[in-house]
Amino acid sequence: MTKFMWFQLVSIFVILALLITICAVEDKLVSDALSSVSEYCYQIENAMLENDGIKNNEVNSLVENLEESWLSNERSLCYIVNHKSIQEIGVEIIKLKTYIEEDDIKEFSVSLELIKLYSEQYNHFMGANFKNIL
Amino acid sequence: MLTTVVRVAIIYIIVLFLYRLMGKRQLGQMQPFELVLTLIIADLATIPMAEVSVPVLEGIVPLFTLVILHFIITVSCKVSTKFSHFVSGKPVIVINPNGIDYKALKNLNLSIDDITEAVRGAGYFKLEQVQYAIMETNGKMSVFPKSEFAPATIGDLKLEVEKSALPINLVSEGKILKENLSVAKVDENYITNLLKKADIKKVKDCLILTIDKGGSVFVQAFGEAYKTFKVEPLGQVQE
Repeated sequence: MTKFMWFQLVSIFVILALLITICAVEDKLVSDALSSVSEYCYQIENAMLENDGIKNNEVNSLVENLEESWLSNERSLCYIVNHKSIQEIGVEIIKLKTYIEEDDIKEFSVSLELIKLYSEQYNHFMGANFKNIL
Repeated sequence: MLTTVVRVAIIYIIVLFLYRLMGKRQLGQMQPFELVLTLIIADLATIPMAEVSVPVLEGIVPLFTLVILHFIITVSCKVSTKFSHFVSGKPVIVINPNGIDYKALKNLNLSIDDITEAVRGAGYFKLEQVQYAIMETNGKMSVFPKSEFAPATIGDLKLEVEKSALPINLVSEGKILKENLSVAKVDENYITNLLKKADIKKVKDCLILTIDKGGSVFVQAFGEAYKTFKVEPLGQVQE
C-alpha cells in the first residue's frame, strides 16, 4: 500500500466515524430538546387547569423554565439543524410570557398548542423513518 | 459578512480536502459517476455558503456521505470487473476493419457525425485510414490507424538518435529549486556558473533555467529573450 492509499483509508475511516458521531449526537440533541419542550407544555397545561388561569406563580415559573431550557437547547441545535426550522418554537415561547402579563388565556393556549405542534412536527420531520427517507 | 467569509473558508478547505482524497482526475478523464459526483459536490457546497441559516454541518454531512459512497464504489470497481463494467461501462469498438459498427453506435446513442468528428479530432480525415476506433468509458475516442496511415516513428526509420531526457528545472522565477539540485546532482555554484555564461548576474534575475542529461541549457532572464547553449553532459542526471 502506498502512502496515499493509507491516507485515503485513514481519512475514510475518520470521516465515517465523524458521520456516525454527528448522526448520533444530532438524534440525541433533537429528541432531548423536543421532548423537554413537550414535557413543559403538558406541565403548563396541567398547571393552568389546577390553578384555573395563567396569571399565577406556577405557570409563570414553568414558562420561565421552558424558555431557559429551550434557549440552552437551541444553542446546541443551531450547530446541526436549519435555524429557520426551529425559530418558530422560540417565537411562540417568548409570546407566552406576554400573554401571562395580559392574562390572555385564549392566545396563551393557542401558542402552547402551536409549540406542541411544532415540536411534534419537527420530531417527526427529523426522525429517520421510511417516510422521511423517501 | 464575517460569518460568510469564515463559512466559505471552512467549506473551501473541506471540499479541497475531499477532492484531494478522491485522487487527481481531469474533467475529461472522469468516469460518468465521477462527473456526477463532482457536480453534486459543487452544488451541495454552495448551500451553506449562500444561506447563513443553514449550519455548515448540514452541508458537510452530505459531502462526507458522498465521499464514503464514492470510496466504496471505487474499491468495488477495483475488486470486481463486472461491477466496474456495470458502473462505468465497457470500451466499445465502433469502427472495425469492416467499417462502422452501426449497432454499437446505436447502443451508445451516437451519430455518424459524432464518430467522424472524433476521428478527425484524432488526426485522421478519412474513415478508411482507421483500423479500429474505440469509445472509451470516459467518453473519449481512441483511434488506431491502419499501418500505412500511422505516423512513422524513429523506430520505423531505424535511425539512431540521442536518447531524450526530461529537462530539469533548476531556477524558476528567481528562485533555485533546491529539491531539483539533488535530482540533477549539481550544486548552487554550478547554477551560478551557468548563469554567468548566459550573462545573468544574480539568480533573482533569472526567470527560468533548465538543463537536461545531454547538457542542453535553456535560460531566460526577466524581460529578455531566452538563450540556449550546451555544456558538459551531466552524466549523473536521473532519467
